[in-house]
Amino acid sequence: MTVLSSDLPPFRRADGPDKVTGSGRYTADLSVTGMAYAKLCFAKVAHGRIRRLDVTAARELAGVFAVITADDVPDLLYSPVIPDRRLFARDVVRFEGEVLAAVAAVDAETAERAVSLIDVEIEPLPVVNDLEAALKEDSPLVHEDWESYEATGDTPRDRNVATFSSITKGDAASAMDTADVVVSSRYVADGSHAVPIEPRSVLAQWEGDAVTIWTSSQVPFEARAGVCETLQLPTNRVRVIVPHLGGGFGGKCGFHFEAHVAALAKAAKRPAKLVFSREEEFLAPDRRRESMIVELTTGVTNDGEIVARQGRVLIDNGAYVADAAFFPQLAAMHVGGPYRIPAIELEASLVYTNHQPSGSVRAPTAPQACWAVESHTDELADAVGLDPVEFRRRNIVHTGDEGFAGQVYGEIGLDECLERAAASLAASVAEVPLGSHEATGVAVSWWPSFGVPAGANVKMQEDGSVQIITGAQECGTGAVMTLADIAADELGVEPSDIRIVYQDTAVAPTGPGATGSQTLLNHGRAVEAASRQIADQLRELAAAELEAAAGDIVLADGQAGVAGSPGASLAIADLAASAAQADLLLGSASAPVPEYPTVSAVCVGDQGMAAWLAPQFSCHAVRVAVDPDTGVSRVLEVHAAHDSGTILNPIGAHGQVEGGIVMGIGQALTEGTQLGEGLQRNAGLLEYKLQTIADVPTISTQFVEIDTPNAGPRGSKGLAEAPNVATAAAIANAIRGVIGSSVRTLPMTAERVWSTIEEARV
Amino acid sequence: MTSSSEHATSPEKNAPAASVNHVELTVNGVSYPLHLGTDRNLSSVLRGEVGLTGTKEGCDDCECGACMVLLDGQPVNSCSYLAVQAAGRAITTVEGLAGDDLHPLQRNILAAGGVQCGFCTPGMLMSAEALLERTPLPSDEEIRIGLSGNLCRCTGYARIIEAVRATSVELDGVRRSSVTE
Ligand code: FES
Ligand code: FES
Repeated sequence: MTVLSSDLPPFRRADGPDKVTGSGRYTADLSVTGMAYAKLCFAKVAHGRIRRLDVTAARELAGVFAVITADDVPDLLYSPVIPDRRLFARDVVRFEGEVLAAVAAVDAETAERAVSLIDVEIEPLPVVNDLEAALKEDSPLVHEDWESYEATGDTPRDRNVATFSSITKGDAASAMDTADVVVSSRYVADGSHAVPIEPRSVLAQWEGDAVTIWTSSQVPFEARAGVCETLQLPTNRVRVIVPHLGGGFGGKCGFHFEAHVAALAKAAKRPAKLVFSREEEFLAPDRRRESMIVELTTGVTNDGEIVARQGRVLIDNGAYVADAAFFPQLAAMHVGGPYRIPAIELEASLVYTNHQPSGSVRAPTAPQACWAVESHTDELADAVGLDPVEFRRRNIVHTGDEGFAGQVYGEIGLDECLERAAASLAASVAEVPLGSHEATGVAVSWWPSFGVPAGANVKMQEDGSVQIITGAQECGTGAVMTLADIAADELGVEPSDIRIVYQDTAVAPTGPGATGSQTLLNHGRAVEAASRQIADQLRELAAAELEAAAGDIVLADGQAGVAGSPGASLAIADLAASAAQADLLLGSASAPVPEYPTVSAVCVGDQGMAAWLAPQFSCHAVRVAVDPDTGVSRVLEVHAAHDSGTILNPIGAHGQVEGGIVMGIGQALTEGTQLGEGLQRNAGLLEYKLQTIADVPTISTQFVEIDTPNAGPRGSKGLAEAPNVATAAAIANAIRGVIGSSVRTLPMTAERVWSTIEEARV
Repeated sequence: MTSSSEHATSPEKNAPAASVNHVELTVNGVSYPLHLGTDRNLSSVLRGEVGLTGTKEGCDDCECGACMVLLDGQPVNSCSYLAVQAAGRAITTVEGLAGDDLHPLQRNILAAGGVQCGFCTPGMLMSAEALLERTPLPSDEEIRIGLSGNLCRCTGYARIIEAVRATSVELDGVRRSSVTE
């Protein structure tokens, strides 16, 4: 198991006592007086035309307060980039989890019974469920009137192609001709799910013309914006509060069912609460990990230098675009990978199907794309007879190198990640040699940091205690807790003197929330800036009292002292008490967005995903055993090394890496959505198998800490998504090492591994 | 051609409501006289009528362990256990773990970093408590088996194992010193 290094500081989780005693409230734990129970009525067919939707019997059932449909909310299309959907289906349903109606009733059983009384007739339409067939001229369209959608930005669209991006640098075709060896590969990844252990819940209560919504959302401000847009309400009349959140992993990003429940509560004239079943959590949200087809052709010289790559990626968008418009460009970046490739030509399309919509699940597009490109990389290494680590050493980006898209990187630690992870694994293999059906595998990966606007208010109160009011959202990572450390450091007080008020849109300045590994990066910069304003005020106050220059005042250990004069100091609490009688100690800041780098490649369908702010790098190296008779793979060790800049909360950081790796093992071996005619066949935890405590391997983690400029506070970068990227790829390479050929479908289930072994025998 | 999707009233929806019984449940040493339908599961009663929401529901189908409680010391998925069957037995939920201070498991799981979103934590703690009652000094393998019914999506489990191991050693130390005294 992971050895907890003894020099880690004690982990401070302000929400810890709530969570271990059961006193902390999650959304489903809340009740308000007069509350009705909500239940949604879903389409349950992948594609069809609504011939009849009659809610009369449901409305008449005793104990039912309201039943609403598309007729009861504003008739408008919404979604970022391509508004292509409605809250409730009208005319056509495009995936099984599409919402037809919502019911509010006196109890859950009555609500369920009312849903069963809704009379629905849906005429089946042809199901679009094959990415390549969907591109053909004669394919049925998921959206007949796609051309009329008012898309924003540079998004080439065509029939079932929702968005398209390409990245081109140099002349890849000519460069390919100069290669000594050319390797082509094709990989297919199934879709998968975020699977937070808390199924989502939404509770809405109207008071007059304003609504308060408690919801299990990672992004309260985005949820508020969605409610305002779809119900046509001014921002001021919608308050979104997130109680404790039981995990998200992207599955609870975006705007989901908040507006349905708010509209229902209004119609029912009483508060309404929706709690999803596990099955609904699998079927309905527009955030699942997209399935993907990756085709790559790469040319290398005999001494293992990549000279050209051409690639094509097809991404399953599902029925509606949600936040996936940028996926093609991001996937293209990942199939290029953190390599120096002088000539490249990548194309990626986001393809409409009648599947559940895809959306940002922890590092969207990256684990699948990394699995494909890193499997391909091992094939390249093989083709020129190089060890996989050595092949990577010769081609990855180092400090000062230009990446394939033409961004020149500052100080980065990918080479050190590769060396450290490989060395850690090698040391283990030297100690315990590989067994007869064991092999090692290695993969490198990268992931961008996202800089966006975020604000924070900080106040120091009359007793010197501090309150941070932030739009940050704690989804479990502990990143919000780290904000207290930053403020404490700026203000010279203890983290325990600081309380954080968060997850409430009515009190906090706007911010991105728990999405894109941004809590520390963006909310952290805002808290840092707001705290500095108060620190400056404290220095002025102390300077006047101590007859020193403000620039010489040092805030530390609860004291304002003078640099170089050990005797002179004032308690910060005393300064706060006098400020309370005069100028209050208030800080309020909106952190400026860091400047983004530029790229030289030609980017068609540019979604801002080719130029990476403060890129994070990692290498995972694994030991895997495969049973050749059954195809069952077992991951025995994972050695991870990550460059995520400065690490501010070591235990939290280790927790992110370990959790990400275990999720990655699931994606590698067991987690994949099985579909039949567009319907999910394994929407339950017995059929969709997560890793259990009995499955997990030994994990060792190292951080290559680089104080990164133009990034998060104190030179930090993001970390929550990066650990989830390289694991499946490294496992794939180890499995290949045992069985001698690549498993070209993800997840690499026992059956698929076994079939690959059998095919190789023939 | 048209086909109806499956919204027609299914036969079991017309089944007569389960009968209502008077039961007394003893939760964390407090007894609660209740009128309950015989079909009610224990987790919904704990979270509803009893008002203790520390017990979580992650699947309602015996798959995740978030709803784990102890019945006379035995770990049970309360989502899949009838409330009326728990009458007359000692039910312990996560709210019953701490005394004036946190239970060592609660303290150690926080210290080790074994809590992230915390949604699995109550169930995890109850399984761990039951394990340590049965097996005071479990091996890592025994910890893994003992907690294998509890899914955690956040932590990767390593720190949870660490916390259970630390607690077993701590409690063993307490036992030894009380024997010596
Ligand atoms: S809720 Fe009982 S096992 Fe999941
Ligand atoms: S801490 Fe989130 S599921 Fe375990």
